[in-house]
Amino acid sequence: MRGAYLSYAAKRLTQAIVVILLTYVFTFVVVSILPGDPITNVLRDPQNGFTEDEIKAIVAAQGLDQPIPVQLWTSLSHFVTGDLGLSMRSNRPVTTLIAEVLPSTLILASAAFVIALLLAVTIGYGTQFLPKRFGQGLLRGLPSLFLSVPNFVIGLALIHIFGFQLGLFRVIAPNSFWATLFAAVALGIPVSARIAEVLIANLDNESEQEYAAVARGRGLGQMRLFAKHLLKPSSLPVVTVIALAIGELLGGSLITETVFGRTGIGSLVQRSVSTQDLPVLQAVVSLAAVVFVLVNLIADLVYPLLDPRVKLIGGPKYRPTTADDSSTATSQAVTS
Amino acid sequence: MASHDRLTTNTLTRAELVAPVPLRPIPLLRVNGLSVSYGPNEVVTNAEFELGRGESLALIGESGSGKSTIARAVLRLLPSSGHATGRVAFDGQEVLGISERGFRPLRGRAIGFVPQDPAHALNPVRTIGAQAHEAAALLDEPDRAVRKRLILETFAEVGLDNARRVYDSYPHQLSGGMLQRVLIGLAILPRPTLLVADEPTSALDVTIQKRILDLLTRLQHDLKISLLLITHDLAIAAERANALVVLKDGIIQEAGRTASVFAAPASAYARKLRADVPALNPDRYAALRDTGIRALKTGAGATPKIKVSAVTKTFTVDGKTLTAVDDLSFTVPAGTTHALVGESGSGKTTAVRLLLGLEQPDTGTISVADEQITGRSPDELRSVWRHLQLVYQNPFTSLDPTWTVEHLVREPLDRFGIGTRKERDERVREALADVGLGEHLLSRKPQALSGGQRQRVAIARSLVLKPDVIVLDEPTSALDVSVQADIVEVLLSLQVNLGLTYVFVSHDLALVRQLAHTVSVIQRGRIVEHGAVTEIFDNPRQPYTRSLLASIPSGVAGAAHLPHPRLRQLATAD
Amino acid sequence: MTLASVSSASRVAAISRLTGLRVPPTVALSFAVIALVIAWSLAPGLFTSHNPVVGVPADKLLGPGTTHWFGTDHLGRDLYTRVVYGTASSVTSALIAVVIATVAGGLIGLLAGFLGGWVDIVLARLVDVLLAIPNFLLAVIVVTAIGFDTTNAAIATGVSAVAVFARVMRSEVIKTRQAIFVEAAFLMGGSRRHILLRHVLPNASRSVLPLAVLQFGLSILVIASLAFLGYGDPPPASDWGLLISIGKDYLKWPWLVYAPAFVTIATVLSVNRISRWLRTTD
Repeated sequence: MRGAYLSYAAKRLTQAIVVILLTYVFTFVVVSILPGDPITNVLRDPQNGFTEDEIKAIVAAQGLDQPIPVQLWTSLSHFVTGDLGLSMRSNRPVTTLIAEVLPSTLILASAAFVIALLLAVTIGYGTQFLPKRFGQGLLRGLPSLFLSVPNFVIGLALIHIFGFQLGLFRVIAPNSFWATLFAAVALGIPVSARIAEVLIANLDNESEQEYAAVARGRGLGQMRLFAKHLLKPSSLPVVTVIALAIGELLGGSLITETVFGRTGIGSLVQRSVSTQDLPVLQAVVSLAAVVFVLVNLIADLVYPLLDPRVKLIGGPKYRPTTADDSSTATSQAVTS
Repeated sequence: MASHDRLTTNTLTRAELVAPVPLRPIPLLRVNGLSVSYGPNEVVTNAEFELGRGESLALIGESGSGKSTIARAVLRLLPSSGHATGRVAFDGQEVLGISERGFRPLRGRAIGFVPQDPAHALNPVRTIGAQAHEAAALLDEPDRAVRKRLILETFAEVGLDNARRVYDSYPHQLSGGMLQRVLIGLAILPRPTLLVADEPTSALDVTIQKRILDLLTRLQHDLKISLLLITHDLAIAAERANALVVLKDGIIQEAGRTASVFAAPASAYARKLRADVPALNPDRYAALRDTGIRALKTGAGATPKIKVSAVTKTFTVDGKTLTAVDDLSFTVPAGTTHALVGESGSGKTTAVRLLLGLEQPDTGTISVADEQITGRSPDELRSVWRHLQLVYQNPFTSLDPTWTVEHLVREPLDRFGIGTRKERDERVREALADVGLGEHLLSRKPQALSGGQRQRVAIARSLVLKPDVIVLDEPTSALDVSVQADIVEVLLSLQVNLGLTYVFVSHDLALVRQLAHTVSVIQRGRIVEHGAVTEIFDNPRQPYTRSLLASIPSGVAGAAHLPHPRLRQLATAD
Repeated sequence: MTLASVSSASRVAAISRLTGLRVPPTVALSFAVIALVIAWSLAPGLFTSHNPVVGVPADKLLGPGTTHWFGTDHLGRDLYTRVVYGTASSVTSALIAVVIATVAGGLIGLLAGFLGGWVDIVLARLVDVLLAIPNFLLAVIVVTAIGFDTTNAAIATGVSAVAVFARVMRSEVIKTRQAIFVEAAFLMGGSRRHILLRHVLPNASRSVLPLAVLQFGLSILVIASLAFLGYGDPPPASDWGLLISIGKDYLKWPWLVYAPAFVTIATVLSVNRISRWLRTTD
C-alpha cells in the first residue's frame, strides 16, 4: 500500500510539473500571436514617450529581436529558475510588480474562500435539516440563483446597499475592513454555489443508498445518520472541487478588484491588458496555473488517504482468504 | 430491551383482561388492509397477513409484485415519496400510525432487517466494527469492551471465521457472502423478535445461497425469532417458511400454510408460478428437448459443430497470474445444447469470450462449424460471426438505448450486407415473429420494452443472420421466472425448427436440467465433470457437482438436508 | 431478486417518463422567458417604439415608470429599449461561445476517448493546460490576443470552455465504448467507423446537451463580465454587461444597474433551470 501510494504520488507530481511547463508554453504561444507588433504597439506609442535608444535597449533586454522559438526557450529557462523577466512598460522586474500587489489579493481571496466554504456548508447541510415543505426548496434553489448573477452585479449591489445607502464603507477607502469584507462576499458567493451544489448532490445520493436505509433499520435517528454515515462520504468529494474553487477565486478577483477599486493581481492584469504588457500577463497566467495545479495535486494526494474505497492502480488488493463465499456474476452485471 | 419487555407485559395484561384463557395468542405481526402508493400509483393493495411468534412467513412474487414494498412499509423505511395506509400491528401495538420517534425504539431492538444486496448495505467509508457498534448500542450494555466482545461472538455465531479481522475491515474488503453474514449478525445482535429478510440471497452464488439460508433457519430456531422472508423463489420459500403469501401486482393471490399452498395451489397465478420454477419441473420441456436427443442418437448430429481442445487462458492482475480457463476441452454435436455450469469466478465468462474469438487463448484450439476461431484477428473473424452469434446476459445493457427495435434487428443484415432492402425488411419481421414479438414494437426503443421483450429482441438480432451456433450467456438470469419460462420455450422450439446448436452458460443447474443435452461443470477454470445431463444429475461423481446439486432448493422443508439428490427427488414427488 | 431490481427501476423510469411529459411550472416559465429573449433579439422593434441610440436629453435619468419601464440613462435614452436592442448581441455571442466549446471540445473528447493511445495522451495534456488556467483569466488572455470586440469576446469565452466539454465527452465516450451494446454491434459485423458514428457518438452526446444549455447561461455571464471590463464593443452598443458597466458610474440612479442585471439574471436562471430539467428527464 505504501509503495503503491509513493509511486502514485511520484506520478502525479511529474504530471503536475509537465502541466505547469506546458501551460507556460501555451500562454507564450497565445500571447505571441497578438495581432500587430508589440514593439510598435507599445513602445512607439507616443503616450509612453520612449526614445529610440530606450526602445532599442528594451528590445534587446526582452530578446524581442530573436526568433520566436529562441524567445520561448530563453523565457522558459528563466521561468524555471523563478525569473519572470522585466515589465515592458515600467522596465521593472515582474516578480517585484507581482509581489507588490499579491498580499492584497491574497487577503481578499482567502477571506472569500472562507466565506464561500461557510456559506456552502450552511446551505448544503441545511437542506438535510429543514423540513421538505418549509424552506428546504428555497435553500436548494440558492446555488442556482447564485450562479445566475454576474459577480460584478453582486459587488455593485453590495456597494449600493451597504456603501451608499447604509454608509458602512466608502469606495474611496477600498482597503478598510468593511470594504474588504464586502468585496470578499461578492467574490465568494458564486464560488460557494459550486461547492454547495456538489455537497447537495452528494448528500442526496448518499441518503438514497441502501446502507442509509439499513442503518435506519438499525434504529439510527436522522441526526446520527447524518453525522455518522452521510457527512463523511458526501463531504470527501468537496476536496476535489476546492482546486476549481481557487481557480475561480483568481479569475473572479479580476472583476471584484475593479468593482471595489482595489489594487491587486486583478488590477495588475487589467492594466497590463490595456498596455499590452506581455511579460506581466505571461507571468500572472503562469502563476495562476502553478497555484491551480498545486492545489489540485494536494487534493489528489490527500484524497486516497481520506477515502478507504480508493484503490490505487497497481496497489495490492487486500482480500481475506478465510471464507469461501463470493457474490455472483449476476449481481455484478446488474449493479454495474 | 427494557422497553420491549414492558411492551410484552402490557399486551399480556390486556389479553388477560379481555379473555382470561386466550383462545389464540396475539400474533407477533399482523397486517390489515395495507395499501402503499407512490404518488398516484398504488403498488400494494389491501394486503393482509399474520406472522406468529417463532414462525416464518414468506412473501413471494416477481418484480413489481410489491413484496419488498410491504417489507419496507412494515419497517417504515419507505422512500419519502411512498405513502402507506392500513394497519400494521407489531406485538399487538399499532405501528403504522405512530410517530417516527415512537417507532424508532422498535427498529433494530425488536425488528431486525437483512437487506437484499449486501455489497451496498454497509457504509463504504466506515469499518465494519464501527457500524457493528451501532447495533451493539441497542443492547443496554454500558461497557464498550463488553459490547465489542458481544460483536465478535456474534460474528463467530454467523460463521465468520476470523471475527477480529472482519471487525477491522472496510466493506469493500469482504466478499458478498461474508458481508451478508455480517449483516445478519448485526440484525440478530440486539436479539430482535422479528427478522425481516428482503431477498437475502439473490445477489449470492448458489452454494452460498444455501449456506446463508441454512444460517437463517438455524438462527430462527435457536433464538426463537420470527422470520418474514421476501423472495422471488417459490422453491426457497416453500423450503424455509411455515406460511406463504403469493403476490402479483401488489395484490395477494393466495395465502396459507406452506404445505397446502405449495402442494395444491388454488389460484391460477400460484399454479403458473409453481410450473415455471425449473427446480420443481425438471422435465417440463422434455418433448422439445428430446427431439434434440433423438437427432443426436440417430447420428444426424454426430459431427461436432464446436470443438474446443485443451484451451488455457491466463490473465495477469496486479502482478499475479490468474488462470481463468485451464485445459478446457469439449465438443458439441450439431443441433444440441451444451451447458457450461459454474459459479462466479469459475471462468465461464472467459470461456464465452474465447469461444467467440473476443479473447485469444494462450494454448489450445477452438473451431466452430469447421472454421478456426483461434489465431485469427477480429477482422478475419467477421465472416465467422455471420454463423456464430452471442446472446448476452443482460438485455438492459446489450441493446443500444438510442436505436429502435427495427434498426436493432436490421443492424446485422445491414452490416453483413445480406439481401435487398425488401428482403431485409422481411427477415426482420420473420425474426421478430420467431421470438414471438408483434410488429407494433418495431418503432419502440429498448426503454419502452419489458425485460422479457428486450431479451427477445436480443435473440431476434442473433437469429436474423440465420446462424448455426448461438452462445447464450446466462440469457435469463436477469429476468423473472415466468419470463424465463417463455424465453426457454422460444429457444427450444427455435432449436427444433432451425436445427440450431447452443452453448448455454448458466449458474442455474435446475435450468440446465430442463433444456440442455450435455453439460460441463466448471470450477476455478477446470472442467470437474462432464457428460450427458441425465447422467450427471442422477449420478454425480465429484463432490463439487454434488454440492451444486444439493444447493437446488427442492421446495420441501428439511429436504435440503437429505444426503442424495435421488432421495430428494423422491421426497419432492407428490 | 436481480431482475426485480432492474425491471422495477425501469418501471419507475417509464412512469416518470410519462408524467415527465407534463412540464413543471418553473420549467414552463423558464421556456417563456427564453422565448421572450429570443423574440427581443430577432425583432427588437416590435417591443419598443423608442430609439436605442438617440435620447431625449430633457428626460435624462428618469426613474422607472409607465412611459419608461426601466427608466432612462444619463443621455435620456429609454433603458428598456437599450436592453431590448442589446439582446441580439448578448444572445448571439453566447451562442457563438457555446458552438465553439461544444464542437471543439466534443471533437477533442471524441478523438481522445475513441482512439486512445498517444492521441489521448496528447489531447489530455492540452485539456489539462486549458483547465489549469482559471476560466475567466483564459478568456481575458485570448480576447487580449485577438482584439477587443464582442465577437472576439465570444470566441474567447468559447475557448475557455473547450476543456470542460472535452473532458465530459471523453469520459462519456470511454464509458460508451466499453458498453456491452458496442461489443454486440461489433459481433454483428459493425466496422469501427460505424460503431463510432452510429453507437458511440449518439450515446455520448446525450449528456452533452444539458451541458451545452448550461454553458449558454454561463457564456452570457462571462461575456457580460468581459463587456463590463471594456473588452467588448464600445458604446453606443448596448450589450447587457456593457449597460451594467455604464450604470456603475451612476449608482445614485441604481435602476441603471438593476434593470439590465435583472434581465441577465432572469435569462441565466431560466437557462439553468431548463438544463437541470433536461438532465433529469434525459
